[in-house]
Amino acid sequence: MSSPSQLSAVNRFGLGARPGELAEVAADPRGWLIAQLRPAHVPEGFAGLPSSLELLRIRGELLRGALEQTAAQTRPAAARQAGQDDRMPVDAAQRRAARTRAMPEDRRAGARTLVREGVREIGLRYAHAATTAQPFQERLVRFWSNHFAVSADKNAARSQAAPMEREAIRPHVLGNFADLLLAVETHPAMLLYLDNVASVGEGSRLADVAERRAARRARMAAAGIDADDEMAQTAPPRPVRVPGLNENLAREILELHTLGVDGGYRQDDVRELARAISGWGTPGPRQLANAEHAFVFRAVAHEPGARTVLGRRYAEDGLEQGRAILRDLALHPATARHLSLKLARHFVADAPPPALVERMATAYLRSGGALPALYRAMVTDDAAWSPQARKFRTPDDFVVAAMRAGDLALGDDARGLLRLLDGLGQPVFTPRSPAGFPDTTADWATGDALRKRVQAASALAARMRSPLLPAELARQTLGSDAVGGDLGALLRRAGSPQEGHALLFASPAFQWRV
Amino acid sequence: MSVDIDATRATRFDPSRRRLLAAFGALGASAALSLWPRLNLAATGADTRLLVVLLRGAMDGLHLLPPQGDADYARLRGALAVGDALRLDGHFGLHPALPFAHQLYARKQLLPVLAVAPPYRQRSHFDAQDCLENGSDRPGGARDGWLGRCVGALGDDAAGVAVAQVMPLAMRGSERVATWSPPLPRPLDDALMLRLQTLYAADPQLAAAFDDALQVEDAEMAGGMAGSGADAGTNTGTPTVTATATAGRRLGGFRLPDALAAAARRMRGAEGARVGFVEDTGWDTHRGQTQALQRKFGELDAGLRAVEQGLGTDWARTVVVLATEFGRTAAVNGSGGTDHGVGSHALLAGGAVRGGRIAGDWPGLGVRDLHDGRDLRATTDLRALFKGVLLTHLGVPEAAVESRIFPDSSAVRAMTGLV
Repeated sequence: MSSPSQLSAVNRFGLGARPGELAEVAADPRGWLIAQLRPAHVPEGFAGLPSSLELLRIRGELLRGALEQTAAQTRPAAARQAGQDDRMPVDAAQRRAARTRAMPEDRRAGARTLVREGVREIGLRYAHAATTAQPFQERLVRFWSNHFAVSADKNAARSQAAPMEREAIRPHVLGNFADLLLAVETHPAMLLYLDNVASVGEGSRLADVAERRAARRARMAAAGIDADDEMAQTAPPRPVRVPGLNENLAREILELHTLGVDGGYRQDDVRELARAISGWGTPGPRQLANAEHAFVFRAVAHEPGARTVLGRRYAEDGLEQGRAILRDLALHPATARHLSLKLARHFVADAPPPALVERMATAYLRSGGALPALYRAMVTDDAAWSPQARKFRTPDDFVVAAMRAGDLALGDDARGLLRLLDGLGQPVFTPRSPAGFPDTTADWATGDALRKRVQAASALAARMRSPLLPAELARQTLGSDAVGGDLGALLRRAGSPQEGHALLFASPAFQWRV
Repeated sequence: MSVDIDATRATRFDPSRRRLLAAFGALGASAALSLWPRLNLAATGADTRLLVVLLRGAMDGLHLLPPQGDADYARLRGALAVGDALRLDGHFGLHPALPFAHQLYARKQLLPVLAVAPPYRQRSHFDAQDCLENGSDRPGGARDGWLGRCVGALGDDAAGVAVAQVMPLAMRGSERVATWSPPLPRPLDDALMLRLQTLYAADPQLAAAFDDALQVEDAEMAGGMAGSGADAGTNTGTPTVTATATAGRRLGGFRLPDALAAAARRMRGAEGARVGFVEDTGWDTHRGQTQALQRKFGELDAGLRAVEQGLGTDWARTVVVLATEFGRTAAVNGSGGTDHGVGSHALLAGGAVRGGRIAGDWPGLGVRDLHDGRDLRATTDLRALFKGVLLTHLGVPEAAVESRIFPDSSAVRAMTGLV
């Protein structure tokens, strides 16, 4: 008979048992988890995926092509008059046909590459989760991805969300939180998703130039001179937009990524942090070809001067100024509590014991923000192993647990998996907000959701590769106790193995991480 | 400046018909008589419907109802100012992507309520939404939601429906609230469901939810799950399509008009849910606001039309409330958008609404009028609006509204004259 701790090791802290895994845990559940806190085997195939910089280049080409095409379509009248371009079609139907032709093959290929590589990465990610022998570590990777949520809902960030997990989170999951934080906040996914690429210091050189241009245009307009001949025919000259600060990323760094909403910061701190990280962006269209990194510090857009955040003064130091603030935020006691609470809520219980959270926060601060110390404090604490604690599996957890249990065949294409998770309410890398997917039972356990799990269970059971019969599979994933009662009886009576597997995946016992 | 504040605003609600008539005495006997059937309904709460639409992400009220005559508006918004708004009254227009809402206004079935916000004054989306949904005066102030508690306070045969994949906080608190979202394309094996019944009956936390699962019918609405995630990158190269004709029709997506149509179907007829809840995201316009809101307002307008069509004759007994967690900065930011603010506007729509006018107090956009010198001030607590709708439209007993549904809110007087 499995002790509860073995079950908790593989379910509460892991990704759900693979057949044989409960036996591997054997007598030392804590040791089994702590042994996983060493660098993981990098999933095969990850090395061949495009970097975020390459993805920025592909997307840059697509945008440039789209802009040029739009420009070309607004020119036909002028071109016809000038007789310069005899290929320019004259009527609407011809123009439409030309537009389709004009989507050049290299652009179509670029769009296809983004989709293909995106789907491939998702496939590799789930294949790895389904097979890894370090499931605790993989759970941690996914936890941080959701903590630093980037949603593929936003077009600009769409192809960067998964690469952020690969490039910024995986390398630092066993490192220092400050390094993880810096890697995430300088990744193009985050800079695009939370708009920092568009944030320009109000006193920066860039704002200054724009202001002078605006003033010049206003003077010329007042004097009756048209600043721009083309505009003279149409509307009065539009005011020049003076770029300025965008506080979106700064606010979420404080509220979601570090201190937490009750962490004691104020609106002034949000503005000051936004000024400190103004200029953090991605290479512009003209820089992309020669860029070496997907992150650039644009000094011309950076707000000059000293900043004060949480009462502490930071001298002007270019990129270093923002980095110094983030490093201090990482070690703030409010951050320690916020991270500890989120981790404990994710792994242990919707309302984790406050004393556990407090002990985790203390261990984190004492270690200088070392993440392994934080994880270790959690898994060595008896409060984290309470037999009463349990968590309702999110759709993503549920699907991964089924994949591990049944050695499910994903096929060569992850699209089916993406559709399934979309239908179950947890579309991959697409949370509804920067706060990430919710993490409590009340969020997920509704009638409609259970109904869909039953539907999904049938679909998943159809992809079983494991030769184990339902009752034996239940014993190897949920423990011996699970097959002693009603569930075991139901599984033994199933009309076919496939039906039995569907019943197992759809059973209440399979919906919980105990 | 104050715009068309309702004459009965200060009158405290009293459920007896006679007192209500007295309260409307100022309108004259004929007006009161024409209002009689509605008051009659409200007094018993019979068969009325309330659909609440939460626009998550902070919808910019100044963009929805541009104060056209206001010099401060043009100054603050610059190129972001909406110049071609549809006319409402002398001061406020309606964004041009909302032609159907504009028709409703002409039919006196649309009532904008100015400068509202939940009683929360920081600028976190998530805390503000939590506060708005839990119905208390602060984030985390209640573990369930005011709409869920409202369903609980209605009669035993009243049900609620949330069109959502996860139960929104606003609708938690009653076992008679279900969620609904588009079904998976695969047919459900009913035999499988039935065989699982005994197992779920033994799980105290999941038993009730599983019972709901057995009740749901999903004979409709397939084809919604083509997988936005699956097509990651498909749209990457093409500029956003903004035509309102295609609003809500992303590749296989399930957008606001679909969600509102689904809610209307579940609220229609004698068996329909009395209370509905729909949520939407994508309103957090830190940049590119002109284009983003052109599209989102188009979806909203298509959604309102879908509700009217979907409800059929029940539209006459319906109030749709569109609200958001807070407003946005009065001034345009550095990237053609706006940042988190305080006051926004709400819209009430439906056959039961006393619309065709503008309610609420307009705080103005002068430097000294703004909250913290940057945001539209909120002059009405959203709970006052919600209370008014619950009392006079759904006929929820005042004692329940004042104690359980909106705890510790006696200082917040219910708005009157909304329906």
